[in-house]
Amino acid sequence: MSDPDLALLALAFPLGAVFLVALLATLRCGKYAHLPTIGGFAMSAAVSVVMLVNLVTSPEAHPAIHTEPLTWFSAGLLNVSFTLTVDPLSAVMLTTVTFIATWIAIFSASYMHHDEGYARYFGIMSLFVFFMCLLVLANNFLVLLAGWEGVGLCSYLLVGYYYAKPSAAAAARKAFLVTRLGDVGFVLGIFVLWRVGGYHTDMTLLFEHIKNVPPSSGTMVAACLLLFCGAVGKSAQLPLYVWLPDAMEGPTPVSALIHAATMVTAGVYLLARCAPLFVLAPSVQMIVCVTGGLTAFLAAFIALTQTDLKRVLAYSTVSQLGFMFMALGTSGVVTPSLAVTAAIFHLFTHAFFKALLFLGSGSVMHAMGDVIDMRKFGGLRRVMPITHITFLCGCAALAGLPIFAGFWSKDQILDVLDHAGHHALRYQMVYFTVFVLSLLTAGMTAYYTFRAYFLTFWGETLIPPEAGHHAHESPRGMTIPLIVLAIGAVFAGLAVEPLTHGFSGFLARTPGLHSANEAYATRVNLAPTEHPHFNLTIAAAGTGVSLFGIAVAFVLFRSGKLAEVPSPLRPIHAMSQNKMYVDEVYYGAVVKPAELLANGSRQFDGFLDSLARLVSFLPRLMAAALRPLQNGLVQFYALGMILGLAVFVSFVVFKVSR
Amino acid sequence: MQLNNLLVYLLLAVLFAPLLVALAVRWCNPKSARAVAVYGSVLHLLITASLVVLNTGYMGFEKHSGLAYEPQCVPGDSGVSGMAGTNEHRTSWNLLTLAPPHALNDYRSAPPAIQFFIGLDGLNLVMVALTSLMFFFAVLVSWSSITDRAGAYYAWLFVLQTAVIGAFVSFDIVLFYLFFELTLVPVFFLIGFWGVGGARRDAARKFFLYTLFGSLFTLVGIIGVVLANPMPLNPDSGKPMYNAPTQEATNPMNPLGPHRMPTPGPITFSIPQLIKNAYMWDTAHDEAVKSAIHRVSVAGKNATADRQKELDDARATVATRRTMIAWLFFALMAGLAVKIPIVPLHTWLPAAYSEAPLPITMLLTAVLAKLGTYGILRIVIPIVPEAAVVYGLPVMGTLGAIGIVYAAFCAYAQRDLKLLAAYSSVSHLGFLVIGLFAMNREALSGSVLHMVNHGLSAGAMFALLVFLSQRYRTLDATQYGGLWGKYPRYTFFTIVICLAGVGMPGLNNFVSEMLMLAGLFDTRNLKLVGYSLAIVSAVGILLSSWYIFTMLRRVFFGPLQEPARIEAVTVPPGDIGGRELVPVAFMAALCLTLGLYPQPLLDVIETDVNRVSQLANRARLRIDPTAVNPADAVESERQRVYE
Repeated sequence: MSDPDLALLALAFPLGAVFLVALLATLRCGKYAHLPTIGGFAMSAAVSVVMLVNLVTSPEAHPAIHTEPLTWFSAGLLNVSFTLTVDPLSAVMLTTVTFIATWIAIFSASYMHHDEGYARYFGIMSLFVFFMCLLVLANNFLVLLAGWEGVGLCSYLLVGYYYAKPSAAAAARKAFLVTRLGDVGFVLGIFVLWRVGGYHTDMTLLFEHIKNVPPSSGTMVAACLLLFCGAVGKSAQLPLYVWLPDAMEGPTPVSALIHAATMVTAGVYLLARCAPLFVLAPSVQMIVCVTGGLTAFLAAFIALTQTDLKRVLAYSTVSQLGFMFMALGTSGVVTPSLAVTAAIFHLFTHAFFKALLFLGSGSVMHAMGDVIDMRKFGGLRRVMPITHITFLCGCAALAGLPIFAGFWSKDQILDVLDHAGHHALRYQMVYFTVFVLSLLTAGMTAYYTFRAYFLTFWGETLIPPEAGHHAHESPRGMTIPLIVLAIGAVFAGLAVEPLTHGFSGFLARTPGLHSANEAYATRVNLAPTEHPHFNLTIAAAGTGVSLFGIAVAFVLFRSGKLAEVPSPLRPIHAMSQNKMYVDEVYYGAVVKPAELLANGSRQFDGFLDSLARLVSFLPRLMAAALRPLQNGLVQFYALGMILGLAVFVSFVVFKVSR
Repeated sequence: MQLNNLLVYLLLAVLFAPLLVALAVRWCNPKSARAVAVYGSVLHLLITASLVVLNTGYMGFEKHSGLAYEPQCVPGDSGVSGMAGTNEHRTSWNLLTLAPPHALNDYRSAPPAIQFFIGLDGLNLVMVALTSLMFFFAVLVSWSSITDRAGAYYAWLFVLQTAVIGAFVSFDIVLFYLFFELTLVPVFFLIGFWGVGGARRDAARKFFLYTLFGSLFTLVGIIGVVLANPMPLNPDSGKPMYNAPTQEATNPMNPLGPHRMPTPGPITFSIPQLIKNAYMWDTAHDEAVKSAIHRVSVAGKNATADRQKELDDARATVATRRTMIAWLFFALMAGLAVKIPIVPLHTWLPAAYSEAPLPITMLLTAVLAKLGTYGILRIVIPIVPEAAVVYGLPVMGTLGAIGIVYAAFCAYAQRDLKLLAAYSSVSHLGFLVIGLFAMNREALSGSVLHMVNHGLSAGAMFALLVFLSQRYRTLDATQYGGLWGKYPRYTFFTIVICLAGVGMPGLNNFVSEMLMLAGLFDTRNLKLVGYSLAIVSAVGILLSSWYIFTMLRRVFFGPLQEPARIEAVTVPPGDIGGRELVPVAFMAALCLTLGLYPQPLLDVIETDVNRVSQLANRARLRIDPTAVNPADAVESERQRVYE
């Protein structure tokens, strides 16, 4: 079987799972709905691994496989074909997505057991992964957009899975609308590129055209900024991150899916894919980097004081995505392939440990009778030993302790930031500030991660009454995925990168990144650096701040209880706990005015209608004015005739006499 | 020629079969009226389907010949019934001859008569198909919701169908107007008699008078257009002048002699003829200026003043003509804008939509609104293209943009689901108007496709509301909540249709919206107006998801809350199914199909869209000679690359 067929197959398995689940649901066999989903994901993952191996062993310097273009729609100059591409970037991404999704699906099968919407859950989940694979494989901007919107739709349906819960309904709508706000920019960006890119929507052709006929830098800045809007919405960056923390209203495995493998990584992937474009717009790159830095810092700041376990994890996702954008933003200041590799490597390791952490918190929730407030439980390490150990692995990876997966990828990000802060031709101070900010954030990350860990697993055993007799270790269907992901969280980084540079070397073979490197080389007149080097100073600094954060958390929370906040810190504490009041500000500044405007429009419409009615009264008014003339008095008519005659005659006389 | 004959009969059947069904329904047993109506509409659907299949699959439209529309299967075409062998794309069926046959009435020229000139081309074929489908759905949706005087109801419904199809297939401008106005009568009675609210008579009267008032301006415009575009005759030979006006009109003895304008010949009502004439007159005026400029530049000293005056005269003539055309443009647009409706001429709509029975509301938005946009495509852009270039996007486009945002806000504030759907329809139609006046191939294809797509998705929205109104008799959104748990299947279809409405990729509206948006990025449109229209259109897509998803959250999410069920329900309790499900599922399936595979439809309309955009391109060049079509630029660039 040739490789293009494999790409189609990778898409076909999740889609087939959707149909099979629907079939099972109509046959009233909904309780078997997890089987096609798990099977489909696993097959898709297997296919991706085969493609990955094919690419790794490919003799070509820059391997990429395209499927035959299939016209979706075409009129005038807008030709949209369904094309897929498999290159190192998309293969890595696809493998990550399908692998993580498989384990999440296995976990869900136990977690969602006895839920009345079992089939619906797995159907939407399969669709979700299908759209994500489409997004990853698409080689056409509008096909990518289809995957992009489809992912948004499925997240809407999954976040709002408990439809009877008003908070879930609100969160679902919010997630959909906020990401769509970014999509407005994305769509416009696609068409700006379409216009300057030789009227291509196919990415390969479009990038080729822009390389050969570079548009004005203003246009590139506009186009890249617009694309970045879409990424900001989807990947929950400032100022559109507000939907992601609320999105945990869905079932916990869904959060794992959204936060780890699908959906939020789409923005990072988009920017990685469009690296050849962003290299041409250095000022946009600076904005990307600063946005990432600010988001990482603010989200970490909010996470410091949250008491809801899932919320801590949600803000940590926002923060970690910020790290990825920081790295992406340095592309063009450092060798693009290095910057993108750092971001994608972090995406790769993050997928493991964030899925692990969310599933771990799901396991906790499962045992605690859906209670997720860390104040209400504690000391669970004795009750749930497997969950505890795996969760600890995830925490260590997130905090970036040496050897663990997060360490290697965070180190690469810090390294490119450091490099940018020292060698950038423009905005050097900005990049340096972001670097300092990222170190600070790394420390905060370690602090809040272990704060959550200690509060949940240390101290005296405290089990909320909702748990009932449920307080036990989760069944094997849930612990096995945890163990597998924990292995990933420990070894995924070590295995692929530090010894061999296999990951970065492989990604750098992506044709798009290669052409970005070329553009970089011609612009800064430097040979691109192919491999990241392990910078001991940076690694030591990163480890140092992490250990410091963990130490602080240990001192404060090893008892498993929340400590009293000292009074000078209270305003800051309140600021963090209330999420910087961003939701309230948005409500006051955007939502409420929009609603007022809507009501105003409705009133105004009534006014418009009465204007139209006024016009319709004009004939009647005229009639009313003229009606007295026809009063039936013969004398009046005679008078009228005589007066009229007099006027006419005098007119004639004057006219003639003049 | 056998097939041609068959197609002509099929076209006549598509037009008149509904009238026959109307008669049958009117006089048959009232109890069986609805069954007869269903059979009648199925029959009509079959005829339309065979027409579509034969036209597109077997015969295929002739690709790109000439600028005017070339209607196929014209009844009374000598090429069809006789042995001439080729279609002449014109008819000999006169309704009202205004003058004795002109001396110059050779086979090329049209008689000065109002004709029964109907035909099919790519543009109206899809509209006829849409109409036939939507009436079928409307009949199905009416099944249990209309019980009072059902015979008369269905009779009026089918009369309406004939009127609508008549307007779509007309190629005579007066015939078009007649059918266009004829639609008012059945709608008036349908709203007035079978309306659901207390103010139905008032709403019916308002609808009637408002639209009639607008279309009177259109009538004036039509008369003006007919008078302004008589057949151009060669000033020497007195023969119709259709080929290369420059060479014919310049003095053959002295190529540098003064440009001679064609002389006006007989008037015509045929739309293809009018398009040709208008093009010839516009071009001749333009050529006059060009040749005068040339003559000034080569003039000797003594002749300069004369030739300068000649140039001034030519410019003055062009200016006069353009002013007149501008007025005609606005007059024509008046009636169409009311029908679509374009904000601020929409105020008849909330009353009419909310008072009309739901099947009629569905038709109003799905089909009747399209008469307006279709009129723009069929008459306004081709016959007065220069005015459409100058005033289209800046004036009508701006109004459309205002409409997108304004109607979206109005929709958000509505509590009544029907009004919400109504305003959402207005919002989407604003986008359609912008797309039409972008006037390039992408945007025009997108617009035609959007007419179909909007018809399906907006019509389906109203069809879905029937389910609720039959059970609870109220459509007040505040009284509903959490319907998902109770009616999961109904929720599923509602979400699919809503997603189609907000432009989800994979469903139909996405494709047409993307095409229209692309058209706004045409370099010739991209001035301040073009950019802002593109941004507003994109924001409009966001706004549509804002009010739609707020509605979904209110009605389908949250704890279950429902108004009191009405006692005498004629429909089975429980989730949507059976007869109610058929139209909804059908429409949802069509939305999906057109979203995944819209290309066949785009292929059908391609030739005619190209013609319209060609006319617009040439008008743009006459107004601004630097306005290079980006398609040509791409073509030349690609050639350069390959060489």
